[in-house]
Amino acid sequence: MTKLTAAVLCAAVFLSAPLSARPLVLAVGGEPDGGFDPLTGWGRYGNPLFQSTLLKRDADLTLEGDLATDWGLSEDGLIWSVTLREDARFSDGAPVTAEDVAFTFNTARDAGGLVDLQDFVAARATGPFTVDLELSAPRISFASRLATLGIVPAKSYGPGYAREPIGSGPFRMVEWQEGAQLVVEPNPYWHGGEVPFERVSFVFGSEDAGLALARTGVADVVAVPASQADAPPEGMRALHIETVDNRGLMFPMRPDTGERSAGGAPIGNDVTADRAIRVAVNQALDRDALVALALGGHGRPATGPADGLPWDNPDAGLAGNDPDAARATLEAAGWVDADGDGTREKDGLPARFAIVYPSSDSTRQALALGAAQQLRGIGITAEPAGRSWDEIGAMMHSNVVVFGWGAHDPSEVYNLYHGRFAAIDDFNPGYYDNPAVNAHLEAAESANDFAASLPHWRAAAWDGETGFGPRGDAAWAWMVNLEHSYWVSECLDMGPMQIHPHGHGFPITHDLPGWRWTCAE
Amino acid sequence: MTALDISADGEGTVRGIRPPLHRGLWAACLLILVLGGSALLPANLLEIDASAIGRAPDPGHPFGTDSLGRDVAARTLAALAMSVKVGLVAATASTGIALLLSLAAASNRVADQAVGVLTELALGLPHFVLLIMIAYAMGGGTNGVVVAIAFTHWPRLARLLRHEAQGVAASDYVAASQALGRPAHWIARHHMAPHLAPHLIAGFVLIFPHAILHEAGLSFIGLGIEPHLPSIGVMLAESLREIIAGRWWVAVAPGAGLLLVALAFERFGEALRVAAEPPGGAS
Repeated sequence: MTKLTAAVLCAAVFLSAPLSARPLVLAVGGEPDGGFDPLTGWGRYGNPLFQSTLLKRDADLTLEGDLATDWGLSEDGLIWSVTLREDARFSDGAPVTAEDVAFTFNTARDAGGLVDLQDFVAARATGPFTVDLELSAPRISFASRLATLGIVPAKSYGPGYAREPIGSGPFRMVEWQEGAQLVVEPNPYWHGGEVPFERVSFVFGSEDAGLALARTGVADVVAVPASQADAPPEGMRALHIETVDNRGLMFPMRPDTGERSAGGAPIGNDVTADRAIRVAVNQALDRDALVALALGGHGRPATGPADGLPWDNPDAGLAGNDPDAARATLEAAGWVDADGDGTREKDGLPARFAIVYPSSDSTRQALALGAAQQLRGIGITAEPAGRSWDEIGAMMHSNVVVFGWGAHDPSEVYNLYHGRFAAIDDFNPGYYDNPAVNAHLEAAESANDFAASLPHWRAAAWDGETGFGPRGDAAWAWMVNLEHSYWVSECLDMGPMQIHPHGHGFPITHDLPGWRWTCAE
Repeated sequence: MTALDISADGEGTVRGIRPPLHRGLWAACLLILVLGGSALLPANLLEIDASAIGRAPDPGHPFGTDSLGRDVAARTLAALAMSVKVGLVAATASTGIALLLSLAAASNRVADQAVGVLTELALGLPHFVLLIMIAYAMGGGTNGVVVAIAFTHWPRLARLLRHEAQGVAASDYVAASQALGRPAHWIARHHMAPHLAPHLIAGFVLIFPHAILHEAGLSFIGLGIEPHLPSIGVMLAESLREIIAGRWWVAVAPGAGLLLVALAFERFGEALRVAAEPPGGAS
């Protein structure tokens, strides 16, 4: 099936390329603050435009070679050996060699945490086109780094690189007006074939500006808020893309003992530290209603951090929209409404907590309001509270917070649920730590190949006895997966699409070189 | 200014009381309507409702519903009540600051200089910028709004009161009282208070609509009241996007409500100010 699609696409390329070299205008945001340097985080989502990566993910998220023609993992899982294609060139004409790859990885490691390179030791060129990447501990999700870190030229990489990037990607820069627009043109040295657009312009600015560009017929692809997506202007169609861009309630797992984090933020919440509360919340939430309320129907219910991805375990979920089961769970755990005020209590402690949302985010606000309303029905009083991100940073260890994640990379699951990541960045703010889950996650990372790691990822969510999923510890109550909405010119064929990660806008460019213009000018 | 003039002014305020009373009644009626109405509002009218998202005005929802299915009319009433409460607290605090500073200024020369400089300084700063800075420093939220408004609206009134207090303090009858050995608090009560009170009341009523408008402004730009709570500024900010989506009714009720309340109090305050002012005097 995929092969057939690919063949049809190839045919389409050859047939349509001659008549479709035309400029393309996109208003999908994504302007990087620090410029176009992969070593400072550019290109993690979407297409790095100027650079290419060792591997890439196809529409099914399967890894395939880009700069690499062959890659393998040593027996002990510590050394990735990569063989490069020999015909790849940077946009200045210089060949891409193993030295460049080693330079990129080693420099990214030394750049200090801007690129997630945990357990990475060093890269060594073992030949002109072969390179070894050495890890200190087995880490199967390191393959995702190979698919996201753009390779930079060792010779010309320097302080000004972020503004004038040179890479082996499909495009080279024509002009970047910061805050306004980026113009790129095809890189004639690109190894991936011909790009059928003479120029591609990325217009930055507010959402409203993008809408205006679409209405005047200037832009060909525009990221639009879901609330307006269903009324595209003439000549455009609405595109709703499935994502793993999820939103859920993060629960503080520890009881409040007066403990404080290194930054002085309080840790723990006596109500949510009780598993019965967390399970009941998972059982009570009517996720379809939340999709209707907060997303205008453009989304789907979420039960885990990676719904529909290969490492997801659907068995870990609990049926939602079941207030009776939720009430039974609470009663069994001793949460009863003795004083008849509508809020259950247990040993004098009322089942009451705040649901903190970032006040700048209307979708999360709607989710907080919707969840609070639904929880009232089972005797839990949840009070929405809108705060700035700064304030949330100080509240997230002791309050329920509406967070969002979603990546094409199972290491995110590791980061969210492994005890080692408690209060590291935003990853595990609730201090979730279950030795059995930790062991499953570590087993997954030390698997010998990706397929062998999948059962371990799934077992971390639910292994029949425990797990981070709702049937186990219910460390989160996931609510919805968003759909990302775009207006796309009716003349543009974007080919098969990936399920999109967190972030509405730029990820749509992932397969940009493969897009085709189907109308005659 | 002589004692005779001032007593004549006092007479003048009594004679010119009709328009302020008339307008005061209007404002008071609105206040009671808003506060009473919101207190009597059934809680379920403010609830989100996924089955009633974005309804146009109809008999069930006279001003339609918003993007979360909340009744706009009910939410506007609750928002106005919130604004009025914030406005009352902030205007009271602001008036209090103005009074304290003017009394301090009347007490001795150094304090008078200090208050004068402070007042001019505060007046010279752009109003809304100062408001934003204080609200931001307070971390936003309802308290931030109240503090920000309280600390930005006092200078005009303080300047007026300071002038009045100085005038009274320099008057012959205060000198006479002092010569008769009256203590300072007696002078304050019997000479200062009767002259400052009308200005104080007019000042308060004039600050009130500004407080409401600025509450709405701060909430509009996201530095004010939490966005899920009913507030005029929040509702107007949300309505921006709604209008683009064609739901004009989301903006009508909060906009008109804010206009009505602010205008009623502005006119009442203006009438009071004119009445409290000596004929032809400038303040």
